[in-house]
Amino acid sequence: MDAKADQKTSAATATAAPAAKNGERQSERVIIRTVGLKKSYLMKDVVTEALRGVDVEILTGEFISVMGPSGSGKSTFFNMIGALDSPTTGRVFIDEVDVAQLTAEELAYLRCHKIGYIFQSYNLIKYMTALENVTTPMAFGGVMPDEARERGMDLLDVVGLKERWHHRPIEMSGGQQQRVAIARGLANRPSVLLCDEPTGNLDLRTGQEILDILKRLNTDQNVTIICATHDHRMMNICDRLMWIRDGQIERLARRDEVHIEVGSIGGQTE
Amino acid sequence: MKQIDIAEQPWLGLRRTVGITADGIRYRLFRAAVTVAVIAVAVAFLMNILGESLIKRAVARNTRERITQMRLIYDWSARLTNPGSLESVLSELAANEPGQDRYREMQQMAGLDDARMAAFHQEARLARRYLGFFASLDYAKRRDAIHTAEGMAIFERLRSASGMEQFRTAMSHIKSVRFVTSYEDLDAFLARGPELLATAQAVLDGRRRAIAQVGRTLRQEPVLQALVRSEGDLGQVIREAGFVFPADTVAPVVAEQAQRLLDVLHLEETMDSEKCRQLLAQQGNVMPADVNVVMMWKYLDNPRFAARYLERMRESGVVVNSLTPERLVDLAKARDENAALLQAERLTMDAGKGFMGLGERLVWLLFVSMLVCGIGICNAMLMTVTERFTEIATLKCLGALDGFIMLMFVLESAILGIVGGCVGAILGALIALGRMLAAFGTNFVSAVPVTELLVGMVASVAMGMLLAAIAAVLPSYQAARLAPMEAMRIE
Repeated sequence: MDAKADQKTSAATATAAPAAKNGERQSERVIIRTVGLKKSYLMKDVVTEALRGVDVEILTGEFISVMGPSGSGKSTFFNMIGALDSPTTGRVFIDEVDVAQLTAEELAYLRCHKIGYIFQSYNLIKYMTALENVTTPMAFGGVMPDEARERGMDLLDVVGLKERWHHRPIEMSGGQQQRVAIARGLANRPSVLLCDEPTGNLDLRTGQEILDILKRLNTDQNVTIICATHDHRMMNICDRLMWIRDGQIERLARRDEVHIEVGSIGGQTE
Repeated sequence: MKQIDIAEQPWLGLRRTVGITADGIRYRLFRAAVTVAVIAVAVAFLMNILGESLIKRAVARNTRERITQMRLIYDWSARLTNPGSLESVLSELAANEPGQDRYREMQQMAGLDDARMAAFHQEARLARRYLGFFASLDYAKRRDAIHTAEGMAIFERLRSASGMEQFRTAMSHIKSVRFVTSYEDLDAFLARGPELLATAQAVLDGRRRAIAQVGRTLRQEPVLQALVRSEGDLGQVIREAGFVFPADTVAPVVAEQAQRLLDVLHLEETMDSEKCRQLLAQQGNVMPADVNVVMMWKYLDNPRFAARYLERMRESGVVVNSLTPERLVDLAKARDENAALLQAERLTMDAGKGFMGLGERLVWLLFVSMLVCGIGICNAMLMTVTERFTEIATLKCLGALDGFIMLMFVLESAILGIVGGCVGAILGALIALGRMLAAFGTNFVSAVPVTELLVGMVASVAMGMLLAAIAAVLPSYQAARLAPMEAMRIE
C-alpha cells in the first residue's frame, strides 16, 4: 500500500484530481468539514447539550489530535465525524458528502470504505484470527477472498504482525491487538483513520509503538489521522491540536505554535 | 454540488456469512449447547408424541386386520346358523365395496342384477348416513327429533306424517346441527323405503334358504366341528348353498381355526379331570380347587410340562385325539398372541383420530410446548445479542449492513435449530419406539411405519429449525438496529 493507492479512493471526486496530480503531502483538500455541529440528548426531561456548534475543517494527510476532559463532548464529536450518529443540527461533510443525506446502505458503504476506526478497547472480533479480522471489512466491501488475503497479509506486515496472522485476539497482547486493529482500520484504504484513545489501554512502551506506527502511516502513506487522546506524547507527533471543552472548540492550533506553550508549562504536563 | 462517490454496500456471500456465523457459534460453544439442548428437548417431545401416534395408528390398523382374520371362525359359525336382521344386512352392505365377497354374496342371494344391486348399495349407504346422524345427536336433541325410536324404527317413525312434522320442528329449533342431506332427499329416501326393505328382505330370505341347505347336510352336527372340514366337502356345500366362501383364502383359515378352537375347548375340559388338576396344582403350588384355565395355559407354554400334561391326560382316561406336546405349546402361544392382539386393540381404541392421528389434547400440548421452546430460544438469542453489543457495533463500523447482522443471528439460530432438531428427532423417535415396544410387545414390530416415522422426523427437524429461526427474528432485529457508536463505549 502506498500514498497513491490512498489517493485512488478519492480520485473520483472532482477536486481530488489536481491534488493527486501535484502529489504534495499537504494537498490542502478538506476531507472532513463540520458546519455548526450541535448535538443534544434528552435524558429524563433534561436536555443535555453535548456539542454546541462545532465548525472545523480537517485536511487530507493531516494528523490531528483531539483533546479534552471526559464529558467535554469529545466522544460525541467523534461519533459525528465517524458517521456513527447524526447531529441535532448542523452538518458533517466527509469527503464533501453530506452524511445526513445518506441511506443506511450508503452509510454502511461510507463506514466501510472512507473511514477506519480504531478503538481504545481494540474491539477485534474474538472468534476471528488476525487475518480474518483484517479481511472482514474487505469482505463487506466486496473484495474477492484471494485479493483480500493478499492485502490483509500486506497490512499485517505494515504493523509488524505478519507472522501472527493465524492468531486469535486472545492469543495476543494488548499492543498486538491494537496493531491488528490498525491494520483492520486500513483495510479498505480509508480517507480517514479515526482513533479513539488508541493508547488508552496500553502501557507507555507499547503505546509508543502504536504512536510510531500511526506517525509512520501518516508520514509515509499520507493517511489522515484524527486521534482522540489524553496521551500528551501525541502532541509531539501530530500536526494540529484541538481542544474541546463544554461542547465547543476551546482551541485549535498547529503543533509548532502549541509546542512553545507546552514548553513553558512543560513541567506540569509531562 | 460535488459528485458523490458513495455507492451501496454489496451483500456478503452466503458462504462467508455462514462461515462467520459458524465461527461465532464455535467460540461460544457452551451457550450454543444450552440453546441446542432447549431445542432438542422440545423437538424430542414433538417427535415422541408424533412417533407414538403414528406407531399407534399403524398398530391399530394392523391389529384390526389381524383380529378380523382371527375372528373368521366366529364370523362363519355365526353366519352359517343365523341370517341376521334387516338392519344388519343394510349395515353389512354399506360397509362393503362393490366386488367384495359379501357384496357379491348378497347380490347372488337376492338375485339382483348389477344395476339394482348398485342402487341397493347406494340406498344402504344413505341409510347408514341417516342412522349415523341420529346416533350422533345427544340424548335431548334425539328425543326431540325422533323420540325413542332406534334403528329401522326411526325411518318407520319418520314415514308417518306426525313423526316427520315433529322431526322437522325439532330440527328447526336445533341451530347447532345441520341435517346431513336436504329434507327433500330424506323424503325421497323414505318414499323408496318399502322397496329397500323388500330388497333387504330378499337378501335375508336368501340367507335363510342357504342356512337351511347347509343345515340339511350337517344334520345334527355342531357347526364348529363341521367347519374343521371346510377345506373339503363342507366347503363345497357352503359354496353350493350360495355363500361366497373362497376355497383358497378363507376356507383353510376357518378350518384351521375350527380345529384349534376344538382343541382349546377339549383341553379346557380337562379341568374336569381330577388328575390333571392335581398336576397343575403341583406345578403352581396351589390347592387343586384353585386351579383354573389361565394357569393351565400358562404352564403349557413349556414343552416339558406339556408332555407331562398329555401323559396325565392319558392316564386319567381323557381322550387325547391327535394332540402332541408341540401342539399344546403352539395353542398356548397362539392364546398369548391373541391376548396381545386384544390388548393392542384396547390400547389403540382412540388412535387415528384428529390431526395426524393426534388427539385434540395432544395438539394443544404440542402447541404449548412449542411456544415454551420458542420463548426459550428467544431468551437465549436475546442474551446472545446483549453480550455481543460491542461485536455487532464493531461489525457495523466495519461496514456491515443491518441485513447482514440480522441474517447472522437468524442463521445462527437456524443452525442451532437444525442441530437441536436432529438430536431431538432421533431421541424422540427412539423413546417413542421404546415406549411402543413396551406397550405392544415385539409382536407388532413389523407394523412400525418406518417411512411415516422418517417423514415425521424430517418434519420435526424442519419444525425445530423454523421455530429457532422465527424466535431469533425479534432479537436479531434489535441487534441490527443497534447504533454503531455502542462500539465506542468502553466495556
